[in-house]
Amino acid sequence: MADEIRIRLGVHNLNDEQIAALRRSFHEMMAISDNRGYQYLAGLHGVPSWYCWHHQQNAQSAQQLQLFLPWHRAYLYNFEMSMRDRVAGVTLSWWDWTLRPPRQNGIPQIFSVAEIGGQVNALAGFQINLPSTNPPIVRPTGRDPGNPAELPTQADIDDALSRTDWGDFTDALENIHDAVHGWVSGDMGVVGTAAFDPIFWSHHAMIDRIWWQWQQRNGNGNIPSSMFDAVLAPFNFTVRDVLSVTALGYTYTAGQAVVPLGGPNAR
Amino acid sequence: MPDNAKVDTSSAAPNAGIRRNMLGVPKRSTGHARIFTSKPLPVDFAGPEHRYIRVDLEIDGISHSEASYEGRIFLNNLNADENTPRTPESGYAGSFHIFGHGGCLGDPGHCDVNEKNREAYDFRPPHPLTPAKKRVTVTNVLRELAKKSSSITVTVVPIVTAANELCNTEDVFRFSNMRFVTYNA
Repeated sequence: MADEIRIRLGVHNLNDEQIAALRRSFHEMMAISDNRGYQYLAGLHGVPSWYCWHHQQNAQSAQQLQLFLPWHRAYLYNFEMSMRDRVAGVTLSWWDWTLRPPRQNGIPQIFSVAEIGGQVNALAGFQINLPSTNPPIVRPTGRDPGNPAELPTQADIDDALSRTDWGDFTDALENIHDAVHGWVSGDMGVVGTAAFDPIFWSHHAMIDRIWWQWQQRNGNGNIPSSMFDAVLAPFNFTVRDVLSVTALGYTYTAGQAVVPLGGPNAR
Repeated sequence: MPDNAKVDTSSAAPNAGIRRNMLGVPKRSTGHARIFTSKPLPVDFAGPEHRYIRVDLEIDGISHSEASYEGRIFLNNLNADENTPRTPESGYAGSFHIFGHGGCLGDPGHCDVNEKNREAYDFRPPHPLTPAKKRVTVTNVLRELAKKSSSITVTVVPIVTAANELCNTEDVFRFSNMRFVTYNA
């Protein structure tokens, strides 16, 4: 099983067993204080390590690199591997924020309920423990979500996907990404603490999936070749290494329709 | 002195910065951020006699060091504010979103950007707070307005979506310049 291509499913398509595995992987990572744990990995994005790439395409930047999508793909890969170290076979899943009632209304329930079976829901939040930062942050994460109707729509995604120029596409997708961070608000709403909120990973899996969809249509498009050897620190990947999701061992699907070929009703 | 002697460096140690109070959870702002309105910009390039398939409003040098916000763009509507309907009739042309850093989570100087003075052999990544560039496609609204007017004002209404106590929630939209860019078929 571990050598098969893993499929990242939508949060709305997970069955109870898959939800339990996802929750258990987060719960166990949150209990680890070293560099295998949630605190360490979440801290690579913003405070205290600040490795993430956003908004860096600008005339004032020494390097004209648009590493937003490649860097986060490498980040999610490493996080998912750490999840699988805890719970074999588990994968990240993507939060499709374009879904509307009755299918979904804002933040999916698996991320919003405080407790499950008398135990804290590890997908609802995390106890940040950064007493040495300035200012210190030692408290649970929080959210302040907006009106679900304000979340990006499929039309917004279609508009981004219609942009065949790499720079145009990544800018449009990053803008949608920014909107969702602001919509969740709370810790997800600012770069410094966003990755401490467990919903961060499913939001970014959705972003990564949209890039994958764009790649289905455009291949790597006109990504500047000068970007290919850019290092995605602190991970042992260059941009070239993360261009193919299957080379990284995963893919996406919208859902599965399993057709049984046998059983009592078979004809 | 023996190698294992305790050494007191407390008096000589550099000051690691003044410690601040515990940081709270960011929230939406209920206040009013300062609205930006440009001078009238000539748009004779966009009149009905010109052929183009797309017009972007490009904004350079946007600070993203503090609050996160939506920047709602209205054309030729000097009275636009956070309650103005986002419709073509009110001049609404689209929004950009800034994912802000949430203020300086470091010691003094941590958030100082100094890219212009970078040494030639400094190959470190750019400072994370290197200002942002955003572009919003405004084709249809601009095309209609340019039929009736040779100049257009740009109003940006910031709606703060996440800010903590380190963030300025009034002077939110800070940038260096903006321009219209047309693309021909």
